[in-house]
Amino acid sequence: MPSLKEKKIDTALKTGLTRGDFLKTMGVGLAALGGACDWRWPHAKAVPEIDRPEGVTPGVARWQASTCGGCSASCGALVKIRDGRPIKMEGLKKHPLSQGGLCARGQATLLDLYDSGRLKDPLLSGKKVSWADWDKAVVAKMKSLRGKQVRLVTQTLPNPSLNAAIAEFLNANPSIKHVVYDPISSSSILDAHQKTHGKRVLPHYQFAKAKAIVGFDADFLGTWISPVEFASDWAKGRVPTSGSPKMSRHIHFEPRVSLTGSNADLRVPIKPSEEYSTVASVAIRLAKILGTVVPHVGEVSTTASSESLDQAAQILAQHKKEGLVVSGSSDLSVQILVNWMNSVLGNYGNTLDIQKPSLVRSGSETGMEEFVKEAISGRIAGVIFVEANPVYDHPLGEELAKALSKMEMVVSLSNRLDETASHAPFVAADSHPLESWGDAEPVPGVITIVQPAIRPLFNSRPAMETLLALAGKTQSAYDFVRAYWKSHVFPKQKSSHNFDHFWDASLESGVASYEAPSLSHTSFSSAALAEVKNSRPKVKEGDFEFVAYSPINLYDGHQAFNPWLEELPDPVTRVSWENYVQFSPADAKRLGIVEGRMVRVSSGKKSFEIPAQIQLGMPEGVVAAALGYGRITADDIAANYPITKIKFFPVKIATLHTANVYPFLNSSLVSVAAGEKIHPLAKIQRYDFQRDPYLQDKRHALREETLEEYAKNASGGGSSSGADSGDGLWDKHEYPGHKWAMSVDLNRCSGCAACVIACQAENNIPTVGKSEVRKSRDMYWIRIDRYYSGSETNAPQNPTVAFQPMTCQQCDNAPCETVCPVAATTHSSEGINMQTYNRCVGTRYCENNCPYKVRRFNWFDYDRDDAVQDLVLNPDVTVRQRGVMEKCNFCYQRIRDVEITTQIENRKIHDGEVQPACVQSCPTQALVFGDINDSNSQVASKAVSTRVYRALEELGVKPSIYYQTKVRNVKS
Amino acid sequence: MKVLGKIFKVSGLLLVVVAVSLSKAQAAPKKSGLTVSSTQSPQISQPAPDPMSSPIGFKVKTPDEETGISWLGMGIAFFLIIGGILFWANDVQSFAGILFVLGLFAGFLASGQRHYYHYFANNQGYAPQQPISYPHVLHAGKLKIACLYCHYNAEKSDVASIPSVNVCMNCHSLVRSATGDSGPNPEISKLVKAWESRDSNAPSPVEWERVNKLPSFVRFSHRIHVANGIACQECHGPIQTMTRVRQASPLNMGWCVNCHRLTKKEAPAHWKHAGGPLDCIVCHH
Repeated sequence: MPSLKEKKIDTALKTGLTRGDFLKTMGVGLAALGGACDWRWPHAKAVPEIDRPEGVTPGVARWQASTCGGCSASCGALVKIRDGRPIKMEGLKKHPLSQGGLCARGQATLLDLYDSGRLKDPLLSGKKVSWADWDKAVVAKMKSLRGKQVRLVTQTLPNPSLNAAIAEFLNANPSIKHVVYDPISSSSILDAHQKTHGKRVLPHYQFAKAKAIVGFDADFLGTWISPVEFASDWAKGRVPTSGSPKMSRHIHFEPRVSLTGSNADLRVPIKPSEEYSTVASVAIRLAKILGTVVPHVGEVSTTASSESLDQAAQILAQHKKEGLVVSGSSDLSVQILVNWMNSVLGNYGNTLDIQKPSLVRSGSETGMEEFVKEAISGRIAGVIFVEANPVYDHPLGEELAKALSKMEMVVSLSNRLDETASHAPFVAADSHPLESWGDAEPVPGVITIVQPAIRPLFNSRPAMETLLALAGKTQSAYDFVRAYWKSHVFPKQKSSHNFDHFWDASLESGVASYEAPSLSHTSFSSAALAEVKNSRPKVKEGDFEFVAYSPINLYDGHQAFNPWLEELPDPVTRVSWENYVQFSPADAKRLGIVEGRMVRVSSGKKSFEIPAQIQLGMPEGVVAAALGYGRITADDIAANYPITKIKFFPVKIATLHTANVYPFLNSSLVSVAAGEKIHPLAKIQRYDFQRDPYLQDKRHALREETLEEYAKNASGGGSSSGADSGDGLWDKHEYPGHKWAMSVDLNRCSGCAACVIACQAENNIPTVGKSEVRKSRDMYWIRIDRYYSGSETNAPQNPTVAFQPMTCQQCDNAPCETVCPVAATTHSSEGINMQTYNRCVGTRYCENNCPYKVRRFNWFDYDRDDAVQDLVLNPDVTVRQRGVMEKCNFCYQRIRDVEITTQIENRKIHDGEVQPACVQSCPTQALVFGDINDSNSQVASKAVSTRVYRALEELGVKPSIYYQTKVRNVKS
Repeated sequence: MKVLGKIFKVSGLLLVVVAVSLSKAQAAPKKSGLTVSSTQSPQISQPAPDPMSSPIGFKVKTPDEETGISWLGMGIAFFLIIGGILFWANDVQSFAGILFVLGLFAGFLASGQRHYYHYFANNQGYAPQQPISYPHVLHAGKLKIACLYCHYNAEKSDVASIPSVNVCMNCHSLVRSATGDSGPNPEISKLVKAWESRDSNAPSPVEWERVNKLPSFVRFSHRIHVANGIACQECHGPIQTMTRVRQASPLNMGWCVNCHRLTKKEAPAHWKHAGGPLDCIVCHH
């Protein structure tokens, strides 16, 4: 072993450089290095407006009432505009129907606005032109077609001004006929009311008044007609309190596992072919109980247990005038029977209103089919599509596409070059609802305003203006809407005598109401009953029955280009990014199908191939697949969505297998062939199968009990075995000021995922793409866990499904805080587990130590390359970089904003003044947020309610989220 | 082998020559600004000469604006790494280790990841040339226009914001030249030009160089600080004496927290609340 001195000499001899020389050289070199690098931060410009408009304050958000343009339900929306760009959509409290909530799809319309794939200019045969040229060309073309068959095709438009514009257009072109259809149709309900009540109307369902609800495949909490309103109303009857341990009873018969079925007290799987029989069986039983004439329904046979049918009839009979029977069936006979039941129970006028009916669906399937057939036969010379895309979303879309190419004139008013518009030589770039003026009237007497939150991003024009221009009346949408309100709305209302006042007040509140005249209708005509019959074809051996349903994320597919919605998992199957064929476990076993195996579903010449998903609760012999997927170019967008910023390394992009299911909308029978390949699905929650016989394992993340149990022992969630084990080793935290806490009522929560999208929009949460979701690297700060449970008799074929919103529990004794080696996650004086991004070095110890698995790690710098899409980012929230951990912080930016405001105004924070994004968006008000130190706050009272428990509280982590045990109205 | 040592020495010195010849050595800024003491209200020290140089004293070459990469820095990194490899190959691991570490560090600095720079340096003293050489010394100093007249957002919003041109035009629609000037002042003319372009097809707003800037992971609210009675100068320095605005304070976390930690006794008497919240999340969320 040479001594240090010998080593030094050795080095010097070897290199001719002594240690001193080396260090000197290094020193000078370093100085040079310091100088050589520009240590300045990146340059930044600050560009103020030239003439700042009044009322605009940089850095301060403006809130503007408007109407959601996501679907025809037209919920009230509040748009947050920050520095000139809308960055958040929230529910409008004052809206009498949606009552402050907004669904996931509605909130995601914001991202549609910033879609760089939108049409940017009007097109004439694929070439960009000016609007003047476009108008001239189309008007000339329409002139040349005078006297020939021309159609105007729209979906249901519950928009009075737009309808007035269409009327102007049709006046100017009297030979054009108007065809209305709905991709997700309620045509059978409308037609049934024509038969039974003499008016083709869609009832306005009032779930708030219903104490007994029997549903037949109507997903009214997820997608059916007006889900936000229905969910909000439904939840009102679902909350037992210790004072009155009562709640509504909800029985649901359905051929797949929907959100609504999962939330029902009793979910009965039936085959689609048994739908008629099941409804008829309930009707017969009801007639017997009520002692009325039993309707003649023919032969019925259903696999639904007679117990469940009896129960359904009984609860309806017990709650006369307070019950509600709903069906989403497209079978006219089923709807007539449903009307009969509602009629004999006296529900009309109580829980269903057909005097002031819902206006959100008026499309006719037969009318549309007639048009398509005429088009195919070549009898139609021209067609104008207004925000309609039947080539994609009509069962005969492909045939229609062929017919379109032979027509003399095809005009499409569309916001992108979609399936229909790509067949049209004349394409008008349509503005987004957040860029246009308009209005909506979902129910007579409730009229809401649509006001723009931003100037059109591209050279687009609202459909209203385009139609007016084609009618020869060049008028701005604003002038037209205002004039319409002056002549049609103002005279009917009584709140104001001055139109300007009325207009300004309506713009401010977003809603105006007036006393609408009641529609007269005949009483139930029993003649209609004579027509009912079982029209479903018999199932051949080996065939499967097919269910095409609209999923809660993509609905009818018009938002398929929205990465937020594409990544949003289905609440029950927990699959994101793709559609899939759902099989019951028994069928899957029989066919040798495993999850992800490609399956070819065919009916006649049509077929599609997508992966399989094995779903508990599916009836045997039935397969189901979601609509809304398989749009042209949507897959490319979705597949390219994964991270693009991993420099130097090639990224394996996941392929997507999606299919358009619309051609199968009317196919009741299909044949199924299992393919060879296995295509792994991207699931947010991998664990499907029930653990113990009682499935909720011993750790009580989610607690359930029956209403009887609850009434008996109003002390809350089951046993006290999971009680808090005290403070343990830690010193108690002190919370001298506020202590923020949240309550989650599992009885109100329907699992609709509105909170998930609200959080994503508020907190700049990236979409990670399918390949990353497969690795469980989704970035959601709040997720909705799905639990299966049930008794030994019906599980695992038909488990009860329950949902639990799971987000950071903001534990007082947080396990994450104690393991962070750099103190990047610490405890705030207000009870929040703080995550300091700039301090985090990404050890992920905290993630491993979290019992709730709510922390998220940024594996990459996620895609922020789309400059248009980046306009959606919330400037109040840091965009996290690669290598740091993140999680829910109760929307601290919102808390801080209120804290600062109240400190400036020198007052206390009111209860409910601070609302995290998830709490605000919740249509059922399942989430309550507040200061638990304030004993008068709502959350403080929830924290001592009779149903309260905290998730995994036996661990002693002292969470700040108080769950309210889920109570089901079933016999224990 | 002895050649290696010589090569290293010579090339090291060469590098220094290159670096120095490229640089425009300038005097480092004198520290100026504000001292907060427990007994007195803030004292404003004498204005420093307008500094343009970096805090280190060298300003060699602006890195490539597109990529942010400093090729000279990359060259140095390359040199250090090669040196390390040579020493390693010749079994002098101690030198090699130092060279590798320094080489990687140099490469990191030069690679244009400038959003990491706040870890090594703050921007104190930064005083860029502005498109219009607006003198605060005249407006705020001599004419004594209140700060909040132009920066009226500071009490309403998180951002103080640079005034829009219409605010300037409140006075400058009449005032077109400084007292004693014969013709219109060229700087005011720039402003008028911007104003007149407001309704044209190609509006040309004034593109100011941003002086005070926080890293993207810091949230700062002006309005709460203004409401608490903190004078603008306490952070922005003697702005009423500046002809060109410079970043007077380091704006780093230690500097922020120093005030947030002050107790009632220590804090200046004119503050409504002593100190501020110390939870990380208040600024980092």
